[in-house]
Amino acid sequence: MTTTVTPPETSPATAQKRSLLPKSARAGGTLHGGPIAYAILIVFTIVSLFPLIWTAIAASRDNQRLAENPPPFWFGANLFKNLEIAWKDANLGEAFLNTTIVAGISAGTIVVLSTIAGFAFAKLRFRGRNALMLIVIGTMMVPPQLSVIPLYMMVAKLDWTDQLQAVIFPSLVSAFGVFFMRQYLLQALPDEVIEAARVDGASSWRVVWHVVFPAARPAMAVLGMLTFVQTWNDFLWPFLVLTQTGNPTVQVAVAGLGRGYTPDQSLIMAGALLGTLPLLLVFAIFGKQIVGGIMQGAVKG
Amino acid sequence: MRARTLPLSRQRSGGGKPIARKALAIAAVVSLGTGLLAGCADDGGDDDSGSSSGGEGKTTITLGLFGTMGFKEAGLYAEYEKLNPDIKIAENVVERNENYYPALVNHLTTNSGLMDVQAIEVANIAEVVGTQADKFTDMSKVEGVKKDGWLPWKWEQATAKSGQTIGLGTDVGPMAICYRKDLFEKAGLPTDREEVGKLWAGDWKKFIETGEKYKKKAGKDTFFMDSPGGLINAVLSSEEQKFYDASGEVIYKTNPAVKDAFDLTAEAAEKGLVQSQTQFQPAWDTTIANSKFATIACPPWMLGTIKGKSKPDSAGKWDVAVAPKSGNWGGSFLGVPKSGKNVEEAQKLVAWLTAPEQQAKLFKVQGSFPSAPAAYESAEVTGAKNEMTGDSPIGEIFSEAAKQIPVQVIGPKDQIIQQGLTDNGVILVTKGKSVEEAWETATKTIDNNLDK
Amino acid sequence: MATRPDTAALPSKGGAAPGRPPGSPAPTDQEKRRRAKLSRRWQRDMRWSPYAFVAPFFLLFLAFGLFPLIYTGWASLHQVELTAPTDMNWVGLKNYTRIFDDEFFWNAAKNTLTIGIISTVPQLLMAMGIAHILNYKLRASTFYRVAMLAPYATSIAAASLVFVLLFGRDYGMINWALDFVGIDPVDWQGEKWPSQFAVSTIIIWRWTGYNALIYLAAMQAIPQDLYESAALDGASRWRQFLHVTLPSLRPTILFTVVVSTIGASQVFGEPLLFDANKGASGGAEHQFQTLGLYLYEQGWVNQHLGRASAIAWTMFAILIVVGIINQLISRRLRASS
Repeated sequence: MTTTVTPPETSPATAQKRSLLPKSARAGGTLHGGPIAYAILIVFTIVSLFPLIWTAIAASRDNQRLAENPPPFWFGANLFKNLEIAWKDANLGEAFLNTTIVAGISAGTIVVLSTIAGFAFAKLRFRGRNALMLIVIGTMMVPPQLSVIPLYMMVAKLDWTDQLQAVIFPSLVSAFGVFFMRQYLLQALPDEVIEAARVDGASSWRVVWHVVFPAARPAMAVLGMLTFVQTWNDFLWPFLVLTQTGNPTVQVAVAGLGRGYTPDQSLIMAGALLGTLPLLLVFAIFGKQIVGGIMQGAVKG
Repeated sequence: MRARTLPLSRQRSGGGKPIARKALAIAAVVSLGTGLLAGCADDGGDDDSGSSSGGEGKTTITLGLFGTMGFKEAGLYAEYEKLNPDIKIAENVVERNENYYPALVNHLTTNSGLMDVQAIEVANIAEVVGTQADKFTDMSKVEGVKKDGWLPWKWEQATAKSGQTIGLGTDVGPMAICYRKDLFEKAGLPTDREEVGKLWAGDWKKFIETGEKYKKKAGKDTFFMDSPGGLINAVLSSEEQKFYDASGEVIYKTNPAVKDAFDLTAEAAEKGLVQSQTQFQPAWDTTIANSKFATIACPPWMLGTIKGKSKPDSAGKWDVAVAPKSGNWGGSFLGVPKSGKNVEEAQKLVAWLTAPEQQAKLFKVQGSFPSAPAAYESAEVTGAKNEMTGDSPIGEIFSEAAKQIPVQVIGPKDQIIQQGLTDNGVILVTKGKSVEEAWETATKTIDNNLDK
Repeated sequence: MATRPDTAALPSKGGAAPGRPPGSPAPTDQEKRRRAKLSRRWQRDMRWSPYAFVAPFFLLFLAFGLFPLIYTGWASLHQVELTAPTDMNWVGLKNYTRIFDDEFFWNAAKNTLTIGIISTVPQLLMAMGIAHILNYKLRASTFYRVAMLAPYATSIAAASLVFVLLFGRDYGMINWALDFVGIDPVDWQGEKWPSQFAVSTIIIWRWTGYNALIYLAAMQAIPQDLYESAALDGASRWRQFLHVTLPSLRPTILFTVVVSTIGASQVFGEPLLFDANKGASGGAEHQFQTLGLYLYEQGWVNQHLGRASAIAWTMFAILIVVGIINQLISRRLRASS
């Protein structure tokens, strides 16, 4: 049957063979989305985006208008004014830099460490593998709400208060990442490929470098995105350990916006909006990584 | 069994785009490395920053505040910096006290991460005085600070049994009743504030009776008061003992004053006199904008809230009458932790910020009512006016109310008990539950929350 | 890599370095020694490299994850308040046994179960569907991918404000729409099932795209020719989905089920913000208070660190029990099939 698998820009014979395939054969990435697919996607997109869009609408209004009913559904005049106030008041430039460092290091490290650990759990044989994997999953099962209290005691002793490493290091513990990469590699990394590399004399590190990382790229991109967002949006712990006058992250910096006896919701929304925009940019960049070769595998006709 | 093959994305000779893959891995390793280096480097560098080196030999004083303080907006920092050129002031503000206070507790218990000045809200002051007094300096010993510079009950709230005063009072929230003149008129009630005050002088029951009169004439689409929470809060705040007795025991279930307040509010709810709303939620905001109720328990800052949520045509339609009994709602303190780096300078700053002149300025800009009686004679207070209340002399009304407030016994879990009575108690009566059911839900919740 | 997987030689037994192709001359002594050294290095690599790979996670966990767990475990055996976390009074298992009589705990447990089921099952099904659609060749696919994670990226404060406005009783948009079709306004925050439905909706909104992305990444790894063979065998698109996509995705589906279950048992952000009150009681009658929220209330609002720690560890124990039951059931199923 189909034992020959060759790259798409291939011999005319195979191309001809492909064109004879029924339409349904070109499932997965090579099939075009039909109108139903687009309809579903559009509904889904609207539902997903509308709170974010409403945040922008609220940020463009003033507090008084937001209290009225019905609430505003279109933009008002204050968007740039509120954004500017929010930016200056919260000193967002510095916060963006700090948070990018924190989230970037966090995401990058977690992705790398999770991939190699996930690979070991998925494909390598070693004593205690199952027990250790169960421990990894077990660490996720304890609710984390209280952990910040002893963690703060630790950080206070280490004299790390108001330093970025106090936020970076605890975030590096990611059982989720290890579990995720393990499951992904179980499915996406055929044993034969690893064997082939071994036969060629590759040590484990070379296998990781040349086989595992390329195979895991979509999952690494996804894990990177999810971790980046989670770290970016984290509030409880950074708020406890960082200060606005020291090394704030974005969520810490915007926590003071709109203050007064009557909170100014439009300013709070402006801060929330500014805090979210960089994430959308990150998505756009990393989103391309998920596609991989599917698009290249598309066959015309 | 078909041989497993690699997906198309991997079927490049050489395993895909080597550059992208290598770049990703290198980036990850580099960022990890940089992070570690940065981490090591930061340790040395940041020791001296944060307090002393404000640059050019200046001392930086840091404040940890929550949303209602308003010093920066009133220009007080700039003024102090001008008077003291070697001082720089930096503030850390959180909008919500619900976020601020737990963090403050954590910082106090580890004695780490504290600012030179920390604000404390009146809802938390009892607990801080009771459990963390040893972390604060004694503000009564600061030069120029005299006990009689503040309202007596305000001073007492921040003073421990040992006599140590851990914080100086900033603002207070003396309650009056704000009412809509136009809605009262429609319901056949008097509109002059003296007359209105006489309607219910001295007794909250008379307030309810006035509400019934209002409801009879005013029709279905309007309510007498904004919320059951506001009502029970106002009633309880005017008592001398509510949830704790003088020895510190919790007495909320046995104190007749509490049960009476609960029953009174439940009665008002059953009679349809209060809206089925919880204060400060978006729906409640809308009832302000849509002029749905006629009265509200009103500290000075509530006028600011009303103004912030009202449509422009409501301006001038409100007035302020004396409440049946005076009580306090809101207010804060400023304390100086012992672990700060600039204790003396911080103490001086706090004493200045809470001095009558500054409190009066703050009132003008922020609406935070002074806790220093001397400020009541100032022009800012005596001449104070608010858009919503037109020409009414609100400064005088609130000053009188402030002086009438009893010295109330406060306890560490006051807020939890209060919340239980409102959010898990009287609000249920407005949703159709019986008084007994509501009381039971409230007390069960409160007892569970108090139980260590 | 120049070797193709299907034509590669199988590794020789014992995990030694690859055997030499037949017909080559016998190795010299020097070669033999070099091969032996390589073989030892190879064996060491095979033996110890897995530990080296998993070590970073465990080291980081030992440094930053273990102490909090031990501390909360220790605190759960004491009566200790947040205002004095080092002032612990030993009470043994009292914090655990009191949970049996704690009607608020069991109320929260029931709520967690119902909210968990309502929010997790539709969420994962929809996520699978969306991922499948996104796997097609689409125009502006990056835009859809960005939109998909937007809910997860939207700040919780902003999202909860929107949903409170949507689900408001008097002025909410959903009630306004219901009014159009003649249905009475629903007290979304006040009554039990409407409030749980609303909280579940928020959870579904927030996490569907997240899971869809995870499924999408896994779908990218399914080899093209599996679909082709199935198609040549005459399978329709739906059957291909059932017989190619789903089986290949099994490890990832297991992952999302496990993680979503754990997440559902711990949910507290969404109900906390839906209430908008200062406390964390999950509604006036605790109608949508989950275990995670109850834990938060006891620990952070009421400051009972000991009690809250016991609740946290009890939640952990419940998950273990669920896991064990799950294992037993699936083993039974496999044995009987």
